[in-house]
Amino acid sequence: MALDLLSPVRVISAVGGRVLRLALLLATVAVASFVLMVNSPVDPVSAYVGADVAVIGPEQRALIAERWGLDDPPLERFGAWLGNLLQGDLGHSLTFNQPVTEVIAQRFLTSLALMSAAWLLSGLIGFALGVLAGVQRGRAADRVVTWWAYTLASAPTFWVGLLLLYVFSVRLGWTPVCCAVPVGVTADEVGLLDRIHHLLLPAVTLSIVGVAPVVLHTRHAVVEALESDYVAFARAQGESTAGVVLHRVLRNAAAPALLLQFSSWGELFGGSVLAEQVFSYPGLGAATTAAALGQDVPLLLGIALFTTVFVFVGNAIGDLVHAQVDPRIRRVGASWRSRGRATAEEVA
Amino acid sequence: MARGARSSPRWAALAAAAAMAVVVAGCGTPTPAPAAAPPDELRLAIGGESEEGYDPTLGWGRYGSPLFQSTLLTRDADLNVVPDLATNYSVSEDGLVWTVDIRTDARFTDGTPVTARDVAYTFSTAARSGGLTDVTALQEAVAVDDDTVELRLTAPQSTFVNRLVSLGIVPEHAHGPDYARNPIGSGPFRFVQWDPGQQLIVERNDDYYGQLPAFRRVVFLFTDEDATVAAATAGQVDVAAVPSSLATATIPGMRLEAVTSVDNRGISFPTVPDTGRTDADGRPIGNDVTSDLAIRQAVNWAVDRQALVDGVLAGYGSPATGPVDGLPWYEPASAIPGNDPARAASILDAAGWVDSDGDGVRERNGVRAAFTLLYRAEDSLRQGLALAVADMVRPVGIDITVSGVSWDAITNRLHADAVVFGWGSHDPTEMYNLYSSRQAGIEFWNPGYYSNPTVDAHLDAAMAATDPEVANRHWRAAQADENGVGFGPAGDAAWAWLVNLQHTYYVDECLDIGRPQIEPHGHGWPITAGITGWRWTC
Amino acid sequence: MTTTIAAQAAEHLPNRRRRTLFWIGAAAAVVLGVVVAGTLSADAAQTTALADRNLGPSAAHPFGTDWLGRDVLARALAGLRLSLLVGTSAALISAAIAVVLACAAVVFGGVVDRIVSWLVDAFLALPHLVLLILLAFALGGGTHAVVIAVAVTHWPTLTRVLRGQARQVMASDYVAVARGLGRSSWAIASTHLARHVLGHVVVGTVLLFPHAILHEAALSFLGLGVDPAEPSIGVLLAESMRYLTAGAWWLALLPGLCLLIVVKLVDTIGENARALVDPRSVHL
Repeated sequence: MALDLLSPVRVISAVGGRVLRLALLLATVAVASFVLMVNSPVDPVSAYVGADVAVIGPEQRALIAERWGLDDPPLERFGAWLGNLLQGDLGHSLTFNQPVTEVIAQRFLTSLALMSAAWLLSGLIGFALGVLAGVQRGRAADRVVTWWAYTLASAPTFWVGLLLLYVFSVRLGWTPVCCAVPVGVTADEVGLLDRIHHLLLPAVTLSIVGVAPVVLHTRHAVVEALESDYVAFARAQGESTAGVVLHRVLRNAAAPALLLQFSSWGELFGGSVLAEQVFSYPGLGAATTAAALGQDVPLLLGIALFTTVFVFVGNAIGDLVHAQVDPRIRRVGASWRSRGRATAEEVA
Repeated sequence: MARGARSSPRWAALAAAAAMAVVVAGCGTPTPAPAAAPPDELRLAIGGESEEGYDPTLGWGRYGSPLFQSTLLTRDADLNVVPDLATNYSVSEDGLVWTVDIRTDARFTDGTPVTARDVAYTFSTAARSGGLTDVTALQEAVAVDDDTVELRLTAPQSTFVNRLVSLGIVPEHAHGPDYARNPIGSGPFRFVQWDPGQQLIVERNDDYYGQLPAFRRVVFLFTDEDATVAAATAGQVDVAAVPSSLATATIPGMRLEAVTSVDNRGISFPTVPDTGRTDADGRPIGNDVTSDLAIRQAVNWAVDRQALVDGVLAGYGSPATGPVDGLPWYEPASAIPGNDPARAASILDAAGWVDSDGDGVRERNGVRAAFTLLYRAEDSLRQGLALAVADMVRPVGIDITVSGVSWDAITNRLHADAVVFGWGSHDPTEMYNLYSSRQAGIEFWNPGYYSNPTVDAHLDAAMAATDPEVANRHWRAAQADENGVGFGPAGDAAWAWLVNLQHTYYVDECLDIGRPQIEPHGHGWPITAGITGWRWTC
Repeated sequence: MTTTIAAQAAEHLPNRRRRTLFWIGAAAAVVLGVVVAGTLSADAAQTTALADRNLGPSAAHPFGTDWLGRDVLARALAGLRLSLLVGTSAALISAAIAVVLACAAVVFGGVVDRIVSWLVDAFLALPHLVLLILLAFALGGGTHAVVIAVAVTHWPTLTRVLRGQARQVMASDYVAVARGLGRSSWAIASTHLARHVLGHVVVGTVLLFPHAILHEAALSFLGLGVDPAEPSIGVLLAESMRYLTAGAWWLALLPGLCLLIVVKLVDTIGENARALVDPRSVHL
């Protein structure tokens, strides 16, 4: 099935089209973000000086503005920035005094651990619960799961994180209250288990919120499949419920769940901004907050571009996987696509 | 491989879903046994992360200890200036040339000796770099020979000594773009590892020329306030800086140290009437109520500063009478006791402010004794102070409207409304900036356009002095001179200073941190000023 | 077993309609109560009582007090009121943008349609929270910045839905007939489109509301939103973080729970109303 989708010509034209789309999107995001940033009324020098306002004079302020190239006219700054950008140089982060590419690379690796753990958790738990609810439609298990999913969808991520932090880190002391590594341990001494221990609570927080849309969509797909003609046919042939679910329903339900999971990378990143704030987890999300609070325009621009690529890649993979998994792709693929995305966005 | 062998039972524990077991195993390795001999590792959660890295020419080390670098001069526990890397310094008659002799036995941690060239390089680099240390007074720095450097200024500046105290010397040969992330210096500690947003690990520099720290390794945790409290409660840190509002719990094995500071909070008053004048950016200047001396004095007399300390600061603070309480250039005669509403009322009566319409607020010539007091909205401490001060002056017949706003809004209104500010520095330049008429309307300095020729003369004389004692005499006279003239509350009452904070730290009962300095604005890192003298006592 | 979903949902319609009306009534009561109580408690939310600091929930202070002795219930109500204001304005503005863009795309088609699609794609290209942070930053922060940022970023998904619906209408036979009769695009849009898409607009607006509120709270929590002096739920929760490790759980739990309840209430209305308007979308 769907093998013809993988013929070389199709692949090349599909990939080419996507790359072109991405390039256009990036150009839009770059120009729009730059215009926004340059027009911000907030003075980055004041944000940088902060509490040292008492002893930093006007001459020193001028030096700071000069170091950051804030005195040049906006168009010139945009030209310089764009020129560097085309060479892969995103500029220099003001808050971290480090090239933006380095900040993003380092921070993203830390976030990646968190996000992938949460992503897997929410996908697996959400799918399992969705199938359970779909099969048990109308019964107690279904009602509980559905109610729970809708409630989670209404809960602020960071609030759930605060409650988990209070219960498991403050009261029970099972998990650490902060950071990605244990206190006072050099990098080469940090074990994998230490990292997992520090990752646990933020990942659970992040996954809990991503779980709701997967549950609801999987449930919907399962119910739809169970009521389809081919399932009725299979039952008529004497296949058991378990057999029907295993052989006919799961595959149909997996497609929307997978598509949803991949197209939710944007929400995943947004959630990580909040989760990292709650748990003092030093990833890219925390860097985003720090950049905005510290008026760090180059880093904000870099993060805007980077997350655009991130979201785009998620969607692209989602479409590919979906095409591979869902036998009905040509018939309803398009409508599923837009629905899946809309809902992931809505529940964020 | 040892770690692999250790890991497998942990995996079993995880598989068994015994979260508790994981915690014990996970934390067990790094935490030293508490009952053993004094550990040679120290863990501090006192904030102070320099996200920019550890480059003194960008401002690193301007508070507390620069750890990796050493400074020419330093301040002792009484804030007296004493030699460090410098053996001696002198200032020329005209105050323009500072000649510094440096010791010859100091080495950077890469083994190369510290020379006058490195000092000259550090100062000239800092003067040109757009960082958080203001060395713009420097014209040039020249190494006269291997151990003598001349710092030539554009104008006499007695407070330049503070640059000699705060600017860590960097090695010219190893100072590049990567330096901030891999600092090398001649200080008491050597850089080991920095996990941005999490921790900084340093080790003792055994080649340090000064007093060697008692700890082989020091770990600085960059946790938020809440995580700091939790880490202290869990016994994971030896020193924890916590805001006084959180310093309520008793933590077993730790004592609470409240360190005196000049981290003050006070109210700036516009001291000129509103004549429609604006500053260069079009911001309004002047206030018809606070420009009256009687109003400013009445507020100063009516406020019960001890009640503010007890109520808003939970007792962790002291009443403030000026911007430099307790520092070597403080003038006690400028202070007033306050908490005397009757005296405040009589001052207002004498000045003609009377409540003629019985609404509880005095008037004079149709002007109500009412003004707005702004504070930065994010700051709950300032909010508490502002609300409490408004309550305290209401019975005297002055109506203060309290309003929490952003810094941007404050910037637009600070010449026309009263504002709650926080200051406090070991550098009297700050006092100069707050009260000199030359600094009126520049940055956040002298926001109220205060101007008194006598005070200006003292401030200028102090700045131009070449002898620190002469400078201090003039600094004191600016607050209150022998005739009672000065900017202090007993004189022009240009500000109403309210409180000095005490910085609260949980400290391990076995750790002696000596007698800390009076700390500047900024809670946390300044306590490291005396870190080389800290010792375990049990 | 082979009953179609739509037919099955239709059987439940009367029941569902009643339920929806019930939820709308309940929500209206709660919203009204919050607005009134929030307005009345605006002063109490800021009043400090230094003697009553850090008290747990009690009869006098059902939600406890914070570190300045302010009543957390009063602050939560004032915060919810602010959330409702932000949510309402954001939902209405976003819905208006979505209606205009979707109608323009369908009525004019061609280049306009492509531009609208491109705009939708561009707004969805970034994670929503990152977009909000950029906008709030560009507008200089503060309450007005959050309201604008939240209001101008919630329209893309609704635009997409409405565009799809409107397209179906425009492709229908009676619109073809109207065109055949020489009616102008505008006339067709105002009569046929408005009538058929209105239900989706109402439902879409209601469903935007919870996300707008949650995004406002998130921005404020990060310190990039509402002025911290104003008690919004996000500000309250950000403040609560400081005192959580000291054991002041009530600062976080209760205001957050209030927000959850309000959001869920509105969401329930939206989902029920959607079931009425579009039976196929029901999660059965």
